[in-house]
Amino acid sequence: MNSRLFKLVTRLASSKAGSVEYPFSKNALLPVPLAVPSDRADALRKGRGLMYFLQQNLPEPKKRQWLQTLFSRQHPQRLLPGSVLTVTLEHAPGVFSGVLMSVRRRGPDTSFVLRNVVQRTGVEMQFFVNSPHLKDIRVIQRAGGGPGKEGRRQRRAKLFFLRDSPSKMTAISAGLRG
Amino acid sequence: MIGLKGCLNVIDNSGALLVECVNVLKQKVNNGWGSVGDEIVCVVKQARPISEATQASATAVKVRRGDVRRAVIVRTKKPVRRPDGRFVRFDDNAAVLLNNKREMLGTRIGGVVSADLRMKGWTKIVSLAPKVV
Repeated sequence: MNSRLFKLVTRLASSKAGSVEYPFSKNALLPVPLAVPSDRADALRKGRGLMYFLQQNLPEPKKRQWLQTLFSRQHPQRLLPGSVLTVTLEHAPGVFSGVLMSVRRRGPDTSFVLRNVVQRTGVEMQFFVNSPHLKDIRVIQRAGGGPGKEGRRQRRAKLFFLRDSPSKMTAISAGLRG
Repeated sequence: MIGLKGCLNVIDNSGALLVECVNVLKQKVNNGWGSVGDEIVCVVKQARPISEATQASATAVKVRRGDVRRAVIVRTKKPVRRPDGRFVRFDDNAAVLLNNKREMLGTRIGGVVSADLRMKGWTKIVSLAPKVV
């Protein structure tokens, strides 16, 4: 009787997320559920104020700050298309830099596309801001910063024309090195 | 999305320059689509002229125009999704030639390859590539 009680206690004490809450897999990772304040719970369950609550609480604090400054529509420090960024990732390739071609603003689902020319081949990567694999964003050159032609603000929100004109890509990178 | 009649650049030193896809081997039908890491059967459309040394030797691999070979796709213009939601898109379609036993014909790779090859098991190609994105 004592040994059975001991086994039960140790099993409950050492239970991982998979064994008790999710009975179908021992290795399943369950995300931490959002902390909902009790006075808002009823209204949220009916759907009132749900999207605003998700925008404020779903991303982590650092990512929420990025979404409010770098990827907002009117903030003075927002990223303009044509800026050069370096992104640090958890998986391959680790570090990717490129010209910001487009920002797709969807609240927590915001993403941006960077374009770079690696070994004479153009590569574009789309990164999602709230992904836990995205570790850091560093701005190397802001569009509209420097003088002359290279620093001029881009007149488009999505720079897909860079795919067809390698000369404009070299112009942006020349302004970077100079 | 490489299918029948899709053209790919060859980025190894086997001698071929441009190949045209004829069949995608992961599908049991003829009208399937191949992506990064899939094996395809292809026809060599353009090849580098074979040097005299290679012509004289009996063991060196000679790739000529009109050969039917196998290849693995390493870059696609169509965006490929990574497990964390990222998309990677290259500016051209590229492949590396193989023999029937899934071994590489060339010895060097000249260009970027996609990191999705590692997930599909082509670690030899990933280790030879100068840059993996």
